[in-house]
Amino acid sequence: MSQNRVAPSLIHDDANSLARLSMDLTDKQYVQRCRDGHPEEFGSLVVRYQKPLFSFLASRVRNRQQAEEAAQESFVRAFVSLSKLRKPESFYSWLLGIAERVAREQFRFEARHWQDPEAITPLVTNDTDHTGDSPVEEAIAVLPENHRQVILLRYYEGLSCQEVAVRLKIPLGTVTKTLSRAYALLRQELKARGRAERTINRTDEP
Amino acid sequence: MNCAECRDNLVACAEGLLDSPGETLLRAHLDACADCRAEYQAISNLQQRLIAHAQTAAQVSIAEAVMRRVRRKQVKPEGETIMSKLLKYRWGLGLGATAAVAIALLGFLLSTPRAQAKAAEVMTRGAKALAKLSSIHLRGQIRAYPQDNFASINPDGQFYSIELWKQFEPELKWRIEKPQRVAVMDGLSTVMLIKTANMGVRVPQPSSSAFDTEWLHRIASLSNTIANELRNATDKGWKLSLAEETGPDGKLKSVVTVLANSGLLDDDYLKNKSFKNADTRRVYRFDAQSELLESVQIYLARPSGEVPIFDLNQIDYNEPIDLKEWQLELPADVSWFQEPQKLPDNQKYASMTAEQAARAFFEACARKDWVEVGKFVSPVNQQLKDYLGGLQLLSLGESFSSKAYAGRFVPYEIKLSDGTVKKLNLAIRNDNPSARWQVDGGI
Repeated sequence: MSQNRVAPSLIHDDANSLARLSMDLTDKQYVQRCRDGHPEEFGSLVVRYQKPLFSFLASRVRNRQQAEEAAQESFVRAFVSLSKLRKPESFYSWLLGIAERVAREQFRFEARHWQDPEAITPLVTNDTDHTGDSPVEEAIAVLPENHRQVILLRYYEGLSCQEVAVRLKIPLGTVTKTLSRAYALLRQELKARGRAERTINRTDEP
Repeated sequence: MNCAECRDNLVACAEGLLDSPGETLLRAHLDACADCRAEYQAISNLQQRLIAHAQTAAQVSIAEAVMRRVRRKQVKPEGETIMSKLLKYRWGLGLGATAAVAIALLGFLLSTPRAQAKAAEVMTRGAKALAKLSSIHLRGQIRAYPQDNFASINPDGQFYSIELWKQFEPELKWRIEKPQRVAVMDGLSTVMLIKTANMGVRVPQPSSSAFDTEWLHRIASLSNTIANELRNATDKGWKLSLAEETGPDGKLKSVVTVLANSGLLDDDYLKNKSFKNADTRRVYRFDAQSELLESVQIYLARPSGEVPIFDLNQIDYNEPIDLKEWQLELPADVSWFQEPQKLPDNQKYASMTAEQAARAFFEACARKDWVEVGKFVSPVNQQLKDYLGGLQLLSLGESFSSKAYAGRFVPYEIKLSDGTVKKLNLAIRNDNPSARWQVDGGI
C-alpha cells in the first residue's frame, strides 16, 4: 500500500469548481445584472443555490429525480419572474417560496395520479435531528448574506475554512467568527421553528 | 482557560483549526465545564445536521439544464458583449464552464498586461475549438505511484501511463486509467477499482469528475482549465506567457506557459505531493491553425530544479470510443468502500483524538480484532488483514495537519508480522456523518 491517500472519500464535481470560479457578487448584484440585460448571470445564482435548493426539496418530494426536476422548475420560474422580485437581496428566500409551491403542485399531481403510499416518503431520512418539516435550508435563508455565503461554501460546496478564507479573501479568523455567529443564528432560528411546529401540531390534535 | 475563552475557540476546535496545546487546553476545560460541553455538543449537532443536508445534494449539478431552459425563455436579444459572444459558442454541455471562462476572461483582460491577455486568448480559442467536439482521448505519462490516487505525484519515481476517454455527447461518460487504478463513469454511476487493494468505490450517480481526477478532466475540458488558470492568475498572481514555435510537423504552434503556485507553505506536509498542491510550470501547445490543443507538459518546480511530472503527448479528438471502455471488469471478490454510519456506541469513537484513534486502530490490527478495525477503516478485506494482522506498534507521534487536508496525520512506526518496519504518517479524518476517525491513507 502506498504512503499517500488510498481511500477515495473526496468526490469532486465540476459544479464545485464552477462555484469557485464564478465571480462572488452579492445576490442583489446578480439579480440586477440579469435585469440589466445579462441573463447569463442567472447561472451564477443557480450554481450558488442549486444544492441547498435541492436539499430543501428532497424532504418534500418523493425521490431524487423529482427533487432535481422541482429544483430546475423552481429556478426557471424564478428567472421568468425576476422582474417581480421586490427585494433582490432576498433572492434565496423568495426562491424557496417558489420551490415550496412547485413541490406542492408536484405532490398534488402525484396524489391524483398515483396511489402509492411511498409518494410522501421524503428523500432525507438520515438526518436524526430532522424534526418533521423544518429543514435547515429555510433557516439558512434567514441568515444575513455574508453568514449565508460562508455556510454555503463550507457545507454545500465542501470547502475547508481555509479555502473559504481564500475564496472570500478574508482572514481565517473572520471565517470562524462568521461561522460561530451563523451557528448561533441558525440554532436560534431552528429552535423557534421547532417551537412553532410543536404549537401547530398540538393545535392540530383532536 | 475560562468559559469566555473557551466559547471563543469552540468553532475553531470543532473545525480542527486549533494547534495541539490549544486543543488540549480547550478539551480540559470542556471536561470540567458542563455548560461549555453542552454548547460544544450543540455546535457539533448542528454541524452534523448541516453535513447530512449538504450530503444529500453533494452530486447535484443542474446549472446547465436550468440555463438551457432559461435561454429558451429569453425574449430579449443578448448584447454583443465578450461574454455573450463566448456563451453563444456552446450553450449546451459546456455552458457552465464557458460561462465561467467568459467571466474569468473578461476580468483578466481588463486587469493584466497585454502579453498575458494574449496567452489567455490563445487558450480561450483552444477551448472554443474543443467545445465543438463530441469526444476526446488523452494518452500520457505521469510520475506517480501506479496504485495511488489519481492526483498524487511521485517526482522521484518513474513514469507510468495514464489515459482518459471522455465522451461529451450524446451523454457524458468517462474513464480514467493508470496501471493499478481505474475509474469509469458510464452515464449512470461512477465506479473506481483500486486493483492492488482489491477495493471498489461506487458513487450511485453520474459525476463530471470524481476520485481526484478533476485536474485531468480540466485538461480534457479545456474551458475549465482556462477558467481555473485565469482565476488563479488574477487571485494568486500566477503568470501566463505566450510563445510561438515551429513543431516537428513544420506547422506553427502557439505555446502557453503557466507558472502555478500551490499556495502552500514550504513546510506543509502535502506540498508538492499532488497536482492540486504543487508548484508547477504548465506548458500547453496549440496548433496555430486548427487552434486545438496538441500536448501538455507539467513540470514540478522545486528549489533543486524542475522535474517533469506529466507528459500528455497524444490527444485524439472525435475518435469513436469502444463501448467496452464504459464497462469496468470487477473481480468477483472485490470489497466495497462504505461511508461510516453512526454506531450504537458512536460517541466512544467520536470523542477520540486523532492519536487515540490511530492507536486504537493499530492495536486492533495487532490483536486481529477485525470488527474493531472496521470502526476505523472500510473495507476490511483480506489484503488489509494479511498486511496489518499481528503488527507490533513501535511508536506513535503527535498528530499534525496540512492546509490542504481536512483530516490529520499521525506519525507512526510499526513492525509487520513479516518483520518489516514501516515508519509513515497515518492520514485520518473525521469529517463524515458519524464523526468517527477514518483511516484515509498512509498505510
